[in-house]
Amino acid sequence: MKIHIDKTKCYMSGECYYNHPEIFKMGDEGYPEVIYSDLDKNEIKQHAQEAAEVCPATALKLEL
Amino acid sequence: MSEADVDLGPEIDPRVFDSIDFQKNPFPVYRQLRDHHPIYHDRFHNRWVLSRYWDVDGAFQDNGSYDRAMYKADGPYEFGSRHIFGPNILEYGNSDEHRRLRNIVAGQFVGQKLQDFIPMIHQISEEVIDRFIDASEVELVSQFASQVPIRVISNMLGLPREDEDMFVTWYQHLIAGLGFGGEHLMRGLNARNEMWDYIDPIIKKRSVDPGEDLLSRICTAELAGSRMSAEEIKGFVALLLAAGGDTTEKAIANMWYHLMYTRPDQMVLALENEDLWENVFTEMMRYDPVVHAQFRFTTREIEIHEDVIPERAGVILYLGAGNRDERAFDNPDTFDILRTDLHMGRENRSGRYKDGKNGHLGFGIGQHFCMGYAMARQESAIACSKLAARIKDPRPKNSTHPGISSPSIDSGGFRSPEDLWIEFNR
Repeated sequence: MKIHIDKTKCYMSGECYYNHPEIFKMGDEGYPEVIYSDLDKNEIKQHAQEAAEVCPATALKLEL
Repeated sequence: MSEADVDLGPEIDPRVFDSIDFQKNPFPVYRQLRDHHPIYHDRFHNRWVLSRYWDVDGAFQDNGSYDRAMYKADGPYEFGSRHIFGPNILEYGNSDEHRRLRNIVAGQFVGQKLQDFIPMIHQISEEVIDRFIDASEVELVSQFASQVPIRVISNMLGLPREDEDMFVTWYQHLIAGLGFGGEHLMRGLNARNEMWDYIDPIIKKRSVDPGEDLLSRICTAELAGSRMSAEEIKGFVALLLAAGGDTTEKAIANMWYHLMYTRPDQMVLALENEDLWENVFTEMMRYDPVVHAQFRFTTREIEIHEDVIPERAGVILYLGAGNRDERAFDNPDTFDILRTDLHMGRENRSGRYKDGKNGHLGFGIGQHFCMGYAMARQESAIACSKLAARIKDPRPKNSTHPGISSPSIDSGGFRSPEDLWIEFNR
């Protein structure tokens, strides 16, 4: 699975990395970065889907 | 001359934090802290103090090192039972429970849900203004600022409009009970219990027959397969009154106070252009926000400014001091609603903005960033612009004012004026 972050849409609300710190962290400028997670694949997928749903900028797209 | 121009020199007597002077005008002490003690070990209160903008920001961002919770989420007691509001979200710290609970309610205060409430905010503001408009004067705190937010919350919860006045009375007693002891506390607890008795059957009803309102959503939301208990729901409602009602009330009062007594020349601008009320809100949240301090516990040793804060230490974050840091803002002690070095639009939980400007710290940042931030901003701006449109030539009734104060900045006591009389023409 891949997570695409659209930096033109993202306005750094921070919702993804504060709600799902197990898969995202704040990068230097405030944009999210995907981090290594030791959760199993299904859990990662579930967290990523939740993050995409709550993103107020609709800047996260999942490639399943 | 600004109140922060007083130079106290480098040495701090920690008893100053308990003084009336500090509650009224903390800014000279904030400057001492930033300039001479970027880390201050307050041995008298057994805590460490951070005051510079980027240090406060850094602590808010670093959940791995700074914890908000007083109790462990899996502690051997009824969770949150030792809090005056009963069990509530603030005590869940950085846990998964906190994130789940926050996500249930946070969505109610932003985006489309918030937009749906905008007409109600307009209507309630107009109704409250109707009550005093014929008098040609208003005591802003009790007659306006303390009326609008609680009526809006009552509506969000889906309570009958005819019960609003009752709710406002409970709210005013409850809030007075939080700040003071003695008879205020007794009246506050009585009001809380009356409110809980009132809301108990409504909770039962909404649990089985939910509507679209916030209370229904809280009643039916499932956390890890189970619903919140009636006690937890009642605790949350009480918390909402303080977190959503009292803060917005005091924000509105602080906006008008600073326009009337700190920058009357800029009050003219806001009265002429309703779009500027969001700027007034933002600059108030920087210059003198309702909340000046937040408390954290370290979960590890922290090296900072060639010093070390030990593990398990209490740390006070003076966001009110960070907001006045010249390392982040030019002429930080000037109240200026046209400021170009402050991010003026909607706040981000990350504290980072595409325009590259620094934001105010008034809502905190990160894991515990204020859930009601968008609501507070819109509600304050709408209520103030409505008032500005209805009253002509508003002016302070008294040429001098005793100023803004807090019952206790360090324990999160809200800063605001006790009263604020405005005279106007119709």
